[in-house]
Amino acid sequence: MMDLTQPQWVRHVVFHPFEGFEDLRWKKGGTLKYTVIIIIALFFSMIAFDRWCGFQFRPLPDALFSVVPYLMRSVVYFLAWVVGNWAVCTLLDGEGTMRSICIYSSYALIPYVVSTFINVILSHILVQEEQVFFFAVYYIGLIWTGILLFSAIKAVHQYSVTKTLAAILLTVAAMLVILFLAVLLLSLFQKVYVFFYTLYTEILYRIKV
Amino acid sequence: MKQHHNFLRRQCAAILCSFAAAASALSLSVRADEHYDVYNYNRLGEAIPSQAGYLAERTVSGTDLGTAALSNPQDLFRDSDGCFYLADTGNQRILKIDRDFSRVLHVYDRFTMPDGSSTTLKTPKGVFRSPDTGLLYIADTDNSRALVCTEDGSVVQEITKPDSALYDAQLTFLPQKILCDRAGNIYIILSNTTKGAAMFSSDGEFIGYYGANAVARTAKVLADHFWNAIASEEERRHSTRTAPTAFDNFDLDTEKGFIFTSTSSEISDTDTVKKVNPEGYNLFGYMSDYKWGDLFSAWYSGTSYKTKIIDLDIGADGSINCLDQKTGRVFQYDKEANLLFIMGGTGDQTGTFSASGNVSAIETAGDRCEQIYVLDAGKGTVTVFAETTFGRTVHEATALYNGGYYEEALAPWEEVLRRDGNYRRAYLGIASAYYNMGRYKDSMDYAKKADASRSYNRAFERYRAEWLRAHLNGILLGIAVLTAAGLLFRRYRRRRQKGSGKGGAAE
Repeated sequence: MMDLTQPQWVRHVVFHPFEGFEDLRWKKGGTLKYTVIIIIALFFSMIAFDRWCGFQFRPLPDALFSVVPYLMRSVVYFLAWVVGNWAVCTLLDGEGTMRSICIYSSYALIPYVVSTFINVILSHILVQEEQVFFFAVYYIGLIWTGILLFSAIKAVHQYSVTKTLAAILLTVAAMLVILFLAVLLLSLFQKVYVFFYTLYTEILYRIKV
Repeated sequence: MKQHHNFLRRQCAAILCSFAAAASALSLSVRADEHYDVYNYNRLGEAIPSQAGYLAERTVSGTDLGTAALSNPQDLFRDSDGCFYLADTGNQRILKIDRDFSRVLHVYDRFTMPDGSSTTLKTPKGVFRSPDTGLLYIADTDNSRALVCTEDGSVVQEITKPDSALYDAQLTFLPQKILCDRAGNIYIILSNTTKGAAMFSSDGEFIGYYGANAVARTAKVLADHFWNAIASEEERRHSTRTAPTAFDNFDLDTEKGFIFTSTSSEISDTDTVKKVNPEGYNLFGYMSDYKWGDLFSAWYSGTSYKTKIIDLDIGADGSINCLDQKTGRVFQYDKEANLLFIMGGTGDQTGTFSASGNVSAIETAGDRCEQIYVLDAGKGTVTVFAETTFGRTVHEATALYNGGYYEEALAPWEEVLRRDGNYRRAYLGIASAYYNMGRYKDSMDYAKKADASRSYNRAFERYRAEWLRAHLNGILLGIAVLTAAGLLFRRYRRRRQKGSGKGGAAE
């Protein structure tokens, strides 16, 4: 029963929101290779949405484009989610490992990524007055991903519904803490860098004189 | 000031590099003619080099006009006959100057009162001549009165501090600027009230105040509003009151009868320029927070060079010409408040004005604002700016475009683009023209260049409809073929599955 190949697993999980991840866990399916592909696709879907959108929907002027926010919104948020969830759920008797959280969470993101790409195509066909279709696709993708993510966390840690909810809330809190610490660390390193740079210029001046 | 220039120059340089070499060469070759930076703002609010719409033609002093040097002149007015009236404030006189602005026609320094006695002025700060009554209106500031007199200097009416319950008796009456609307009502700006201009009927009776600014919606005002709502009567009486900033100059749009006011306050950006109808209602109220003048203010040696609109003039074509006292710049807007040109600056050369705080008045002449006159109180001179070929093309295109003649505006807009490829409104204008002509694809291209998604959307909608109509047969055929292929493929697969299914049923 259920000897699926990896691509078949992806399909099974996405189209069976409630028992898909349980099956995946039972049969130890899923691979990190797909996680990487999905996160890269997420990154590019966000860029495509802002860059390849039909001009009638484009909110962002070309001159203001920077790749950093997109990296932040895809890769960094995903990593923070995985680490935060792992940290929280290890304390809450979760059964998931870092690897399985990575795989399950990323599989759950597929509807969102797909809906974003569909929207990029739609934006070349629709006019502003027909934005509803645009939003419909967006929200279907978002809610679908939300449900998948919920059942992914529930399956990977073998939690009850309430415990899953609590775990997700705590994970979000943990993400905030992680991001805060990351920003702090970054600014501290910057200070250290500035310190050494000042030292360097000071020495340079002394040598010259 | 220097920093501001450097900032602009740096920005100009950065943007120039990124544009086509041809366009930059074009802008640079013209820039050498002016003694100040000629720039405009792009869609993102960045200052970019632009072609000059006006060139400083000459500077006229009191001696050039055949009279004594001007002393701290505060107001300049051009009447419907084309003659100029200049309030030579420090010399206690009003000058009437001819249409070419080359010589003085008459000096008003002595007036005959109705009872036959003679009177003089004391620091007159405002002058106006009504096209309807033909009378001269003078704000005789330090005499605490306003005079209405005929062409030959005999006073027909003297307006002094109103003895009315509406006018606070403790307030002084120091008229700064004056004008008379088409109904004959007289408006006087006083320096000590925020309620608006004092309004007098044609027979000199005080009616009330007119056209006060709105209170800026700052966080403190909102907080006070909240606390006042829950405070008791007693507490409310002791709470602070918020007053709007007072406007300190105005001009009558002779064509339409609107009064435009300008506010030079440095603490508030609300209602910098208002367009007030005879009822006192601000038609620019929906853009109360519109940023007039420079979008960014420079800081240099502890001084802020934030735009301070000291005077404005409505041209015959409805354009709004604002004079910035801080930077000595003139900002010309069309009647829809779209920025057209920026000219002027501070310095000692023609076209620049004495440093910070000395330009005092602006006037325009011509059907399309061919000339702009700027009064510099510090130097006691009037600088005349004349429209360039580029300026004429832009004015022509703008007038046609604002009038709804989009197709007629196409040729002038294209000419504008040949001279300045950065002029965004030209792209918008061409997009509208092509849209009206039914060239939707071209309209989309130009809307894209103008970065205007609304115009693009409009053209795209029609383009899509056209495309669908043209390709309807193909689309229907495609759908039919695809459906048939899908059905066939499904049947084929089912048959194959049935065939192999028997063999693989062991699973």
